[in-house]
Amino acid sequence: MTSLKTRGLFYKAYSYLPVIFLFVSVLNEFDFNYLNLDFFSFNFPFILIFFFTLKDFKNIDYLLVFLAGLINDTVIGLPLGISSLSYMLICIATSYFRNITIRPNPVKDWFYFLLIISLINSLNYSILTLFFSFNLILMNYLVNTFFTFLFYIIFVSIFKYYLKGLDD
Amino acid sequence: MASSRDDFIIAIRSAFLKKSTQQKFSLLTLVFFSIFIIVLSNLDLKAVRYLKIGINELVYRSSFVVSIPENFIKNTYKDIKDYTTYFREYRNIKEELSEFKSKDISSEITQYENKELKELINDYVSSSNKILAKIIVDHDSPFLKSIIINKGSKDNIKIGTNIYDQSYLVGRVIEVNYKTSRVLLLSDLNSNVPVTIAPENIQAIITGSGDDYADIKYIKQGISDQFSEESIVYSSGTGAIFKSGIPIGKIKIVENDQIKKFYVDFYSDFSQLKYVFAEIITKTELEKADQQITDNQQEPIDAKLKLLEDELAIIEQSNMKFKDENEKLKSQVNYLNNKIISFQNETEIQKETIKQFNIDTEELEFLRLNLIYSQKCQSRKLFNTGFKVGTPEYKKCIMNKGKIND
Repeated sequence: MTSLKTRGLFYKAYSYLPVIFLFVSVLNEFDFNYLNLDFFSFNFPFILIFFFTLKDFKNIDYLLVFLAGLINDTVIGLPLGISSLSYMLICIATSYFRNITIRPNPVKDWFYFLLIISLINSLNYSILTLFFSFNLILMNYLVNTFFTFLFYIIFVSIFKYYLKGLDD
Repeated sequence: MASSRDDFIIAIRSAFLKKSTQQKFSLLTLVFFSIFIIVLSNLDLKAVRYLKIGINELVYRSSFVVSIPENFIKNTYKDIKDYTTYFREYRNIKEELSEFKSKDISSEITQYENKELKELINDYVSSSNKILAKIIVDHDSPFLKSIIINKGSKDNIKIGTNIYDQSYLVGRVIEVNYKTSRVLLLSDLNSNVPVTIAPENIQAIITGSGDDYADIKYIKQGISDQFSEESIVYSSGTGAIFKSGIPIGKIKIVENDQIKKFYVDFYSDFSQLKYVFAEIITKTELEKADQQITDNQQEPIDAKLKLLEDELAIIEQSNMKFKDENEKLKSQVNYLNNKIISFQNETEIQKETIKQFNIDTEELEFLRLNLIYSQKCQSRKLFNTGFKVGTPEYKKCIMNKGKIND
């Protein structure tokens, strides 16, 4: 059986899939809003960035994450730099968590993720309401945080399959 | 203790500053850069503005391209759903169209009159032109309700330009790029529109709720009791942000535990928008444009005259129709009156017959009883106890079955 690595271009594209997904999701604001479920939304970029930076995935460049944040702000209509700051804070948190963790545990990661996204969403909400006088519904942020937390574990299992495919 | 603090500091320092071989920037640099951009984007510098416009143009177009597959799936689902109700909707629309056509003429006259009056009040002549714009990005974010349209400063779109879905107000432009613009929808929490609620003629401000309705604010307590579900909401034009008289929605009353809540139900469904109209308004100073006004004034007057002539013709036609109908109704009334008279005569005859029948019945009874009791009631020569035949007393006696003293 031919391994992925020997296929050259295909392997390269496959190894850059998280970056591609990150950019597609920020450009498309991939959150199933059209399902018209009240308050339902989740933040896919948060999950993706958290997981791959925690795994120290080599193709996730911080600069690309930063640019994805700028694009996200432009698409949503937030002041430029807000999402970039959020994404960078996730990267710092994962980097710190990686440094202090000797034996990784998925459940610990999951709850650490909840803590981080809660802090970041609180920070986002505070900046937007206090400094930019935006009127926002807090409930939207809370539900978004909750669903992002729930979806994390689902996406993690998918991402693990992806990483396994990459190692093979 | 000191060791654990050192570990923490090392971990933090490493998280902020350490960059592996593939990373071009450390996280600390990028965090500072993010904060720098946040501050910079809020300074209204010309260079920053142009840079922002450039980024917006590029990102909006990219977002449009990337959203094509998702939009295709969404639209296909919507189309299939629509096909199932097409015929019924077609019939309803046809009926509505005929109604609207008749209303259109008077509406146009009002518009011309309105225009003339406004020209008299203001010191400028305003002319508006609606241009069609396609929505290129509509992600229906739960946080901010806005859309991106494919018209920008190149097409004379300005910040504040009113955006319509048909003739209904949907929002206003809050960001203008060269070929694209961002429209803040009325449903957004940051959207405030001064409105008039008719027919109660109440002035209020409606604020987006983040959902598909708006809240009514800044009205006196108790005044909302006057609202009904028939009340319509249109822009009042106060503050000159929105044009006056643009329909927005209808009042929706929700009753929970005997507490009435009032919302504005938008005429337009913001989640179904594909194309919108942007109203480009050009103002010409009256003094500078005196000559132009004289020429232009002739135009609305002519148009108004033509419309009035049309309306007159329609009224005459309607009058003729009414006259014909009136004549028909008159002859019908006469015919019905005659019929009533003949029925009355018939009733009289029948009444007479019944009366005669009753008399005959009484007579017959008298004759029958007469045969039986005539002996008892007749007067005799020897005993003067009875009555003379043919007298009312005699008849009474017969009817009483021969009882004389009753």
